[in-house]
Amino acid sequence: MNKVKLKINGVWHQFIVEPGRVLLDLLREDLRLTGTKQSCDRKGQCGACTVIVNGKAVRSCLQKVSRLDGAEVITVEGLGTPDNPHLIQEAYVLAGAIQCGFCTPGMIMATKALLDRNPDPDDREIKKALEHNLCRCTGYIKIIDAVKLSARFLRGETTPDAIRPDPNGPKIGVSHPRPSAMIKACGLAEFAADIKLQNALEVAVTRSTEHHARLLSLDTSEAEKMPGVVGVMTAKDIKGSNRIKILVADQPILAEEKVYCLGDAIAIVAARTKEEALAASAAVKIVYDPLPVLKTPGEALVTGAIQLHADWPNLCYRQPQIKGDAKKALAESAAVVEADFSTQINHQAPLEPEATVAYMEGEGEDAQLVVVGRGINIHQYLANLQEALGYENIRYEEAFSGGNFGQKLAMTSEAISGAAALHFRRPVRYIPSLAESMIMTSKRHTFTMKVRLACGADGKLAAFTIDFIIDNGAYHIIGTTIIKRVLWMLSGSYNIPNVDALARLVYTNNPAGGAARGAGPPQITFALESAMDMLAEKIGMDPLEFRRTNSLLPGQSVSTGMVYDQWPFPELCDAIRPTYERAKREAAALKDGPVKRGVGLGTHAFGIGGPADVGRVAVELDPDNGLTIFAAVADPGEGNDSMLTQIASHLTGIPMEKIRLVTRDTDRTAGMGPAAASRMTYMAGGSLVLAIEQLKQAMKEAGVDTYEGLKNVGKPVHYLGSKIAEGKEAILDPETGQGPSFESRVHAIQMAEVEVNTETGEVHVVRVTTAVDPGTVINPQNLEGQLHGGMDQGVGFALREEYIHGETKDWFTFKFPTTKTAFDMDVIIRQTPRTKGPLGATGVGEMTMVCTAPAVINAIYDACGVRIYDLPATPDKIKAALATQEKPLT
Amino acid sequence: MGDLSQRFCTIAGKEILVDNEGFLWHVEDWTEEIADALALECGIERLTDAQWAVIRFLRNYFSYYGRAPMNRDLKAGLGISLLNLEALFPGGIRHGARRIAGLPNPKSCT
Repeated sequence: MNKVKLKINGVWHQFIVEPGRVLLDLLREDLRLTGTKQSCDRKGQCGACTVIVNGKAVRSCLQKVSRLDGAEVITVEGLGTPDNPHLIQEAYVLAGAIQCGFCTPGMIMATKALLDRNPDPDDREIKKALEHNLCRCTGYIKIIDAVKLSARFLRGETTPDAIRPDPNGPKIGVSHPRPSAMIKACGLAEFAADIKLQNALEVAVTRSTEHHARLLSLDTSEAEKMPGVVGVMTAKDIKGSNRIKILVADQPILAEEKVYCLGDAIAIVAARTKEEALAASAAVKIVYDPLPVLKTPGEALVTGAIQLHADWPNLCYRQPQIKGDAKKALAESAAVVEADFSTQINHQAPLEPEATVAYMEGEGEDAQLVVVGRGINIHQYLANLQEALGYENIRYEEAFSGGNFGQKLAMTSEAISGAAALHFRRPVRYIPSLAESMIMTSKRHTFTMKVRLACGADGKLAAFTIDFIIDNGAYHIIGTTIIKRVLWMLSGSYNIPNVDALARLVYTNNPAGGAARGAGPPQITFALESAMDMLAEKIGMDPLEFRRTNSLLPGQSVSTGMVYDQWPFPELCDAIRPTYERAKREAAALKDGPVKRGVGLGTHAFGIGGPADVGRVAVELDPDNGLTIFAAVADPGEGNDSMLTQIASHLTGIPMEKIRLVTRDTDRTAGMGPAAASRMTYMAGGSLVLAIEQLKQAMKEAGVDTYEGLKNVGKPVHYLGSKIAEGKEAILDPETGQGPSFESRVHAIQMAEVEVNTETGEVHVVRVTTAVDPGTVINPQNLEGQLHGGMDQGVGFALREEYIHGETKDWFTFKFPTTKTAFDMDVIIRQTPRTKGPLGATGVGEMTMVCTAPAVINAIYDACGVRIYDLPATPDKIKAALATQEKPLT
Repeated sequence: MGDLSQRFCTIAGKEILVDNEGFLWHVEDWTEEIADALALECGIERLTDAQWAVIRFLRNYFSYYGRAPMNRDLKAGLGISLLNLEALFPGGIRHGARRIAGLPNPKSCT
């Protein structure tokens, strides 16, 4: 042990520590300074734990406390508080640099260290200073803006008051600071691992080391005798269905007779400390009988292949879509292109691990199991936990959530913590490592796609055929929904009179596919938009003109047969044209050397307001004439708090500071469905509008405008609004795939400018521009933030990121985006108010990455003449393609 | 295997959209005749006053709060013990009473 004195946030402390104790753990565990975050398993990869030691920004997970005697440490808590924030914290809030907020404290500390030594850094210096700090939400654009704004504040060139929008001014179309931003900037927002839970047991999980096997025996006796162990539980200890389920009850919380995937949970160990729990979890003895492993859908579809799940065939869902006569149209077309495309398994990569806590509140029959985690559909989680654990009195709470991107549509660690708290009747913390978090979560589905696209001599699209297979992985999660979403949006931005598609969903032993930003359309759009460029080249048309020529027009139908009366896509083509022409000119001048520049486009018309979707939001006028909004509107970083607050204040005239949000607790909120599918602004915002309209109608009828006035005339002060999207149902015809589609669309064109090093195969993204028509913009900064983060994720999907189960274990192996991979981004916004959207708005959370990958791939082709058909387009693939310098497929 | 999230059923002579567990998709589609029909499906020949009290409580609670009540809310609101509540409906409250009352299942991603 070592005796060490540290001055932390201005106060001297003495610690007696073991030699290996790192500063991060001392800050979080001994001092409860939980503003300093942990993501990367203490490997120094993420920077979420950055603090300042003796004036320098350091990753506290790498700092041995025993070597810091006498050091001065500043953490985010030492900078400022919401009532008295530091100028850097103000700058991060006002620049819109805070989305989920998990990376924010580390970013702010790295910013402080930079500005203390360099008061006026340029972009290169800022990127260098933040190169160890990871962010999944922002694409780093607004973080760099925040550093520059901080510098201006600190140099005295401007002040927060000078740039803060007038809170009493207009509410719509104004970047009012997010209600939650300042507590995130001050490190006070509690993420699940930050929750102070007295006398909690630590939980560890024994996981399958096999991809597919029968469990012959399971012996927990040695583990139960290990030091500190309170108990070990297996499937037999779970009283309910023991199933995680959204659509199909195929995923056990704890394995019963079989394991279906590497990493399946088998036993839960609860112990006094995490180290003791982990040691005991390794002592659980399991004897497996290995079964054949289905590594691909092809293997799973072979006649005689082992059936993975007894109750469901390997080919678990198929859905055709037929519009017109594609076969005839193909035969009569002037030009046809044909190609096979594929996409990788990818990780959504939220920075926060799958931390969760659970405890019993109350005693006896009335005891309530409380489970806290990062779920984005809290009422569905509640129902799933009730069924799975066989216990009705449960409350689910959403903690602050360090990113999500669809990942937590399906329950993961919450089932473990909930089962353990209920079984042991003790508070539990389940704080898995990043590596374990990766192994337990659902991933972006892989697609393999055979495509044919045809047009006439006039350049008008004539036919589109696509036969695609989706690897469902070991569990269904929302596999069927992925197919429906793809088919609802299959024809993208275009009028394609003849479509012939077949979608198949196949179980394998791979990690389960689940919701991931875009959830289906990013994969299909990669294929369609690549084929669009191939076809444009074949008939000698400019890619932008070809897309504009083929825009769907109001009154025409998409591939499901649904007709739209608004389709402001041609105008977007016109809006981006000057930028496109500038980019093409610049690229033309950079074709001669080994580094060649290219320009590529991708488009989409992303669906908003799924057929028959339902939202519910309750509002209540408070005694002080404020307004409380009760709705399960999860906000893992998108800015739903801004959306609700600004809409409510705009419609009621109630000041924003008196708009109160109750959104995180199943005991107090209206069920709103998932914070997924880009549906929160449209469905929750739409429901909020309807609730407020009822309140205002009641006030009008009573001739009053206050709480007291309503009460005096006996009128309610509480109203429930429910937005129901058009479409009688969400069912596609099983033979033709004809039927409804989304009530509205958000339209986008993205343009990538890239430079390809033809000697190394490396691609440098120079810039991505998004032209978008989302309808009315509620908060421009939040909109841009979504677009920036999506473009960054789209480029990662296109060029780098791939999740390999059992091999991808941290942020380096995942190839997480950094300030080194960051690129310039531009945004062009048109606002065509949507007739059915709340105040004319739609939603942009997913659209923003749907067409990025094809834009990048098309730009690579434009640069150097090679086309990549299987993502990601790694340097090796590009080099290999350059070596053969293939001709365009025809 | 068909669509996993929705299907149409004819209930009390009406074509009604239900989810994969037979819960009404639109709470507004519910009528007392539908409750009678769904109850009959569950083996309840005629809903009793006690059962109607639960159904009405469920619907009133849902139309106010936008969520289904927990059993403790039912217990407090109706003065019936949890055991007696669960025994009132085949399938208990969650699978029995809530479905008959036309309350939706918590939604998944559409």
